[in-house]
Amino acid sequence: MRCAIVPPHILERIAARSDDPELREIARRSLINDAAVRTERRLSVIAPAAPPGPSATPNRTIKDAKHQEDLPGQTVRTEGGPASGDATADRAYDWLGATFEFYEAAYGRNSIDGSGLPMISTVHYGQSYDNAFWNGSQMVYGDGDGTMFGDFTLPLDVTGHELTHGVTQHTAALEYSGQSGALNESISDVFGVLVKQYHLGQTADQADWLIGQGLLASKVQGVALRSMKAPGTAYDDPTLGKDPQPADMAHYVNTYQDNGGVHINSGIPNHAFYLAATKIGGNAWEKAGKIWYETLTGGQLASSADFAAFAAATLATATRLFGSAAEYAAVRDAWQEVGVTQ
Amino acid sequence: MKVSVVRSGGFAGIERRGQSDTDSDPVLRGLLSRIDLDEEPDSRPTRIPDQFIYEIIIDRQHLTVGESRLTAPLRELVHHVLRH
Repeated sequence: MRCAIVPPHILERIAARSDDPELREIARRSLINDAAVRTERRLSVIAPAAPPGPSATPNRTIKDAKHQEDLPGQTVRTEGGPASGDATADRAYDWLGATFEFYEAAYGRNSIDGSGLPMISTVHYGQSYDNAFWNGSQMVYGDGDGTMFGDFTLPLDVTGHELTHGVTQHTAALEYSGQSGALNESISDVFGVLVKQYHLGQTADQADWLIGQGLLASKVQGVALRSMKAPGTAYDDPTLGKDPQPADMAHYVNTYQDNGGVHINSGIPNHAFYLAATKIGGNAWEKAGKIWYETLTGGQLASSADFAAFAAATLATATRLFGSAAEYAAVRDAWQEVGVTQ
Repeated sequence: MKVSVVRSGGFAGIERRGQSDTDSDPVLRGLLSRIDLDEEPDSRPTRIPDQFIYEIIIDRQHLTVGESRLTAPLRELVHHVLRH
């Protein structure tokens, strides 16, 4: 299979969904090679701006909980070691690498804490476990129940989302409730999709802007768990219910569940990022992503920041990075359109 | 005695609910007998992103507990009630 012929999104679909394990493996390898080639191509252009010295490398360990709920589990793969032969463990390894590579190449960040923190993932956590989370020091993935959810290692953006919780923890440390909690969630969605867009070489207008595409089982009526392009439209299913995300402040949801709806109201800043990134155009991680990244990691953002404080901080960052150019206007208009600013 | 469980949070952010009654559910009776609500659990918010949050209502008593702070008997209870 020539990676130049088959577009990455088709490869990804084959890698994730084909019934033929051999075909999946071929597609997966093609994706990794393809991404490496594209990264090299990009780096050869970006290189002069990159800091001198050897580039950082990841330090990955994959562990297997063997369907128990005890962490961290038994080591099945280490950095540079042979593949485990377990598709889930090997995919978790690859996605840690893709996320590491994204942060390193796009923002010069060396791992989750910026100082080469070892990356640990535990797979096969629990029985029919419908979740993935960052526990403060490592990633944890369930296999899904097979009826509603598949294996949580499948979509790359899930790994990008969870590791970004680690980045947030080591930087702005946004409090995980109410609006600061929804910002924490949104930032994980933003960089989760950017990891995927970078990996696939997609520009803002080519991307699907979906979170968890490929995670829902085939009989579920839905395309993903969240949509940054059109919050509230990702699924509408008799069992799962309807995607509850609002796209603007007029539809902000007040609830005490889910730490004050952190997975619901994240739709508002998610949509603001989508609007800014598509207005600016090109690779979303380069400008809109850079503004969000610098805002998150710049040391000026309060851990209790609400949407308005975050919006103001992104505007200050946009001015600092780009002056009062089109980028600033795109960010300003985005926050106005979702009703966070007037 | 009625027991209800609401699970929120998780990466998906999709709420799940379950309810059962000891009158018709002998397994629930057994599970409840292992739980001492006076000793149960630390319900201060844990800030583990994307972990499940369980709201457990036993009779008139409300508990909100992050998954990481569920005791083993409570874990079995919420799994059982959510299957109903």
